[in-house]
Amino acid sequence: MSILGIKRTPLAWLNLTHDRRKFATSMAGVGFAVLLMFLFTGFKNALYDSQVQVINRLNADIVIINRLKNNMFVPEPFARRRLYQARAFDGVAATYPLYISDVRWKNPVTQQTRPVRVLAFNLADPVLPLPGVQANLAALKLPNTALIDTRARPEVGPRKAGVVTELADRQVRIVGTISLGTDFASGNGNLIMSDQNFLRYFADRGPEEDERSFATADIGLIKVEPGADVDRLVQQLSEFLPNDVKVMRRSGPGNSFEAQERDYWRESTNIAFVFSLLTVMSFFVGIILVYQILYTDVADHWSEYATLKAMGYSNRFLLGVVIQEAVILSVLGFIPGMLISRLLYTGASNAIGLVFLMTPERIVNLYLATFAMCLISGAIAVRKVQSTDPAEVFG
Amino acid sequence: MAASPASSATETSPDNSAAPAVQIRHLNYFFGTGELRKQVLFDINLDLPRGQIVIMTGPSGSGKTTLLTLIGALRTVHAGSLQVLGQELMGLSSRKLVGVRRNIGFIFQAHNLFESLTAAQNVEMAVELQPQFHAKRTQATEILGQLGLDNRVDYKPESLSGGQKQRVAIARALVNQPPLILADEPTAALDKKSGRDVVTLMQKLAKEDNRTILMVTHDNRILDVADRIINLVDGYIESDETLDTFNTTHDPKNLDQQMFIL
Repeated sequence: MSILGIKRTPLAWLNLTHDRRKFATSMAGVGFAVLLMFLFTGFKNALYDSQVQVINRLNADIVIINRLKNNMFVPEPFARRRLYQARAFDGVAATYPLYISDVRWKNPVTQQTRPVRVLAFNLADPVLPLPGVQANLAALKLPNTALIDTRARPEVGPRKAGVVTELADRQVRIVGTISLGTDFASGNGNLIMSDQNFLRYFADRGPEEDERSFATADIGLIKVEPGADVDRLVQQLSEFLPNDVKVMRRSGPGNSFEAQERDYWRESTNIAFVFSLLTVMSFFVGIILVYQILYTDVADHWSEYATLKAMGYSNRFLLGVVIQEAVILSVLGFIPGMLISRLLYTGASNAIGLVFLMTPERIVNLYLATFAMCLISGAIAVRKVQSTDPAEVFG
Repeated sequence: MAASPASSATETSPDNSAAPAVQIRHLNYFFGTGELRKQVLFDINLDLPRGQIVIMTGPSGSGKTTLLTLIGALRTVHAGSLQVLGQELMGLSSRKLVGVRRNIGFIFQAHNLFESLTAAQNVEMAVELQPQFHAKRTQATEILGQLGLDNRVDYKPESLSGGQKQRVAIARALVNQPPLILADEPTAALDKKSGRDVVTLMQKLAKEDNRTILMVTHDNRILDVADRIINLVDGYIESDETLDTFNTTHDPKNLDQQMFIL
């Protein structure tokens, strides 16, 4: 359109920014709708992301679990000899058992008991490569010691080294901390201990509790050799091992432990639906807000737009102006909305220990939603401009 | 008179310089449909040659503005023939009407300037209708200069007086050098002196470049710029005279006597 770099007068931009206060209000309006969408999708994603955060930290490419364990919540261990069987396969570098149990923890301050989840493993195995674990290996070897998650819920009491309290009615000493985060299956938080200590606490908890031993493990971790075909190995293991276990990739789409966990929470709860509904509602709130903004602009400049039509500008040009305004609003409203959401994500994450992730993909998706929101509003508002009769300007 | 760049480039009407600016034959126009159909223009026949300044006057509701908007290609012609700059408007699609409008300069009672644009930018919006507008800034400042707004070029309308705003609007209408200019009460919102200045400017620009101006006005103070005065009453052309004849026939004293006789 431009010749020698001479551009058209940026009418959309100038109309939108002419009144600074109105412009700021418009941006705040769009930003608010963006914020709502970020919050609701944030909560929805936090549900799934939190459930799989432990899974994704495990140092494994393939996992073996009991066929009945369709989510992390189900306490169904499998025979540990399956892990030894798996080790015989070509391409398997190492196998590690991980023991998990839910247990009562006494808050040392309030003396109230709360359920927590204990993750235990052989300290010689690199099961959970977290900095807190590496630093406290020596202390963890002592009897009745454990690490506590600093992001456990505040209800468990002080989350720091040196705490002495009761776990499963036995004394426990906290010798260090890790940073992991909570989820719906972990009760109020996670503890980490050695497999030896695990036996101390869970081998015999009385007649009403399952006896635990090294004969069974909750999650079997398989580390493959570099360059090995993980999918082929998964298939071979599944064919060879008896049907009491399930073999799958640790994470990724398709047949993986992570995907199974996500599917379980998606299919068995309505939470995702509720938050999706709220997101959709925010989207429509946004449409109404942006429509109001654009409609006001059109209404305020009614006779000017009609004059442009009388001068010989086509409807398509006016449509372009309104759509440009919509696009400008979508960009300029999205940025502050996203930045504030980011702050709220961090705040919420620190407060309740769930994971609020703002991945590039989610940002792009929400921007596309914002763009669609502004475009729909623009399309509605533009009908008003198109109906402008240039003859009305006379008289 | 040279054809304006717009007309030579738009797909619609080659500006036929030989044709009169406006030629109307047996034009009838109706508002509404069915039972509510009301005729507002009756068998209008009118020729506006090039270079003439024509003032159209008449009581409210006589159809002046309707006729003006028809000539301006802002309404669709129902019956009769209406040629603007050699282009027949009867039966023209609305897209082609948009093209015709680009050869016409419009001046309204309200200035209708964008508050968000400077005087120059408002004028440039008109230049941008041309296929080539790389000199838009120069063209805009030049015409604003001719209208005595040299030092107001980068002012926004809110910092301009009423007369200045109307002059910017006139600059916008004239910048593309349209062969036909349609004005609707251009002085109505102005005080006596500003109004006089505005019409004198229009007259000067019209005479210099052989433009045709059709102006609807109730303002008796500016009748003297007209070559010709058309009086429209109840949708009929009641009279079509030179300024001098108009003054005698429409002298309030004469009118009063006629009324007494009736």
